Amino acid sequence: MSRISRRHMLGLLGAGIALPALVKAQDSSPIRIGCMLPLSGNGSIEGNQVFKGVKFAVAEVNAAGGVLGRKIELAVEDDESNTSKGVLAVRKLIEQEHVPLIIGTYASAVVVASMKVAKELKVPMLTGGSTGAIATDANTPGDPWFFRFFSDSTGQGYDTANAIINKFHAKRVAILHDTTGYGTDLAKQTTEVVQGAGGEIVANESYNIGDQDFSTILTRIRTLKPDVVYIGGWAADGATIVRQAASVGLRTQFVGSGSMLSDDFIKLAGPASENFAVATAYEASTPNKVGRAFGERFRKEYGYDPGMLNALGYYSAAIGIEALRRVGKPDGAAIQQMLANGMKDFPIGLGPEGTTADFNDKGSVDYPYFIAIIKNGKRVLDH
Amino acid sequence: MDLLLQYLANGIVNGSNYVLVAVGLTLVFGILGVVNFAHGEFYMLGAYTGLILVINYGLPIWAALAGVLVVAVILGLGAEGLLNKMLKERDATSSIIASFGLAVVLQNSALIGFGPSPMLMQTKYSTIGVEMGPVYLPLQQLLIPVAMVALISVLYLVLRYTWTGRSLRAMAQHAVVARMCGVRVQRVAVITFIVSALLAGIAGFLMSSVYMVYPIIGNMIVLKAFTVVILGGMGNVAGAAAAGLLLGIVESLTSAYLGNGLRDIVGFVIVIAVLLLRPQGLFGRTFQRS
Repeated sequence: MSRISRRHMLGLLGAGIALPALVKAQDSSPIRIGCMLPLSGNGSIEGNQVFKGVKFAVAEVNAAGGVLGRKIELAVEDDESNTSKGVLAVRKLIEQEHVPLIIGTYASAVVVASMKVAKELKVPMLTGGSTGAIATDANTPGDPWFFRFFSDSTGQGYDTANAIINKFHAKRVAILHDTTGYGTDLAKQTTEVVQGAGGEIVANESYNIGDQDFSTILTRIRTLKPDVVYIGGWAADGATIVRQAASVGLRTQFVGSGSMLSDDFIKLAGPASENFAVATAYEASTPNKVGRAFGERFRKEYGYDPGMLNALGYYSAAIGIEALRRVGKPDGAAIQQMLANGMKDFPIGLGPEGTTADFNDKGSVDYPYFIAIIKNGKRVLDH
Repeated sequence: MDLLLQYLANGIVNGSNYVLVAVGLTLVFGILGVVNFAHGEFYMLGAYTGLILVINYGLPIWAALAGVLVVAVILGLGAEGLLNKMLKERDATSSIIASFGLAVVLQNSALIGFGPSPMLMQTKYSTIGVEMGPVYLPLQQLLIPVAMVALISVLYLVLRYTWTGRSLRAMAQHAVVARMCGVRVQRVAVITFIVSALLAGIAGFLMSSVYMVYPIIGNMIVLKAFTVVILGGMGNVAGAAAAGLLLGIVESLTSAYLGNGLRDIVGFVIVIAVLLLRPQGLFGRTFQRS
């Protein structure tokens, strides 16, 4: 008894009383998951819409009691679509915030750089809207650390190009694409498909993201009288192009890509957006029952229909949180295994009826896109 | 031929925008020797001021313009106080770095204040167009060259015939001798900054109805403005005006005939060539100092 002093005994007793409280506190503290998106700079339109969906998913999960008895909290980073900032943000999220998974990001170039770091630090990433094939192509087949639950830009470009040929019966196509890998790949794809079907590419012009003045190039395209003008890029530039096309008198079928499926695009482009066509995997009127149910819940909460960007933010978070729940602990490597192999039965609201988070060995889920056309300021799915 | 005229018209619109931004910069750069990278933010804040006053407060255009002028004066005063009054005794790099810092502060304030989403000023004139033969320009775009000619003419008259203008020209030649001749150098510096902010702010305001406005639009425009300043010769107002129009037209023709992707490159390539072959600019004069 004398070896254990009174001080020691008191200390042990105190620790004994404190221990259950400490353990309980650890168990019920919120789980922080990472979210990296362009909330400012280029891509901020898209980033903010995706973020709305992510927040909605987290709010729903928390309202139902959280995961493993704990609430979910978001650790948010703004990457401004900048590769260096993205890499720093991922490092910060993993090393300082200790997140077990990261939802992000939108710009495929940023994803490619960030996923290297995430893989090295053993934390899986779920897309924040990135569509570029380059992102899932950078995965080691069979061991993906970046997951995307809709077809990549190759698939999107292919579906859109097919629509250009089959739906719009275009023989002469003009292409305007941005200088990123995304835009350039889309342009290449569309060229292949159109030329393969016997059509002609009358112009193939590039622009830098954020360019303001398209009047000259659109005037030139007007003289070439294309049946379809295809825009490969992001919503802000697409809206500028469509608006300026109307003012130089270029009247033809415009087909867009990527985030031109957002309501922000319609707002920015104004009445010139009428009849604009774009590929999308989600509309509130989707034939996918799970998707329609999501749409109704979203509308009840926010008062307007969600678009594809909101939906993909929502499902990115939902899939990630479900994987976390199935694994039972915030362990990045275990969550990555669960995502790669164990989510086949989890239904998602994107894509056609019956789509699930059945990731293939490159971390993608492939299904055909719908085509939506803007009529009277709203997108209408074209079956 | 019709198309060529249309391309020229587009080029003149863009060129006029460059002129308004570059002339202010050449005054500050050429006369005071201050490199002001925050000059693009005068443009951006002029655009936002006009936008906010018209969209959020519903003011008519002329009232919004008055608001833009007030904001520009405040910005000019602030920039002069920071970059010239406080830093002119120090190494030149101090004011360059300070102007970068000022640009970052202003851009991020705009980001916090107005949000990242692009905005466009839509007025009842937005859909009106003007046809001049084979050339079609929306009215709001046509206003830009008109405003440019008006403002540059006024500036030219001020420089030529008023005491302030003569003081400015004297300072451009030699600040110390100018002071000995009775020029109040500090007052002239303040006026120069205010004038440069006014011109850039008005350019931003005019462009806010043509192109979308978001916090980083100042970046590219200030690079183009520096290009124009170098092409036109530092401190040379007429040279900047000519070079600005020239750049706008060259960019437009490049986009039309060579390919849109080359459009931004061509200006910078020309500037590199000019700096290598004729560093005083296309219209500048070389000075012989004894």
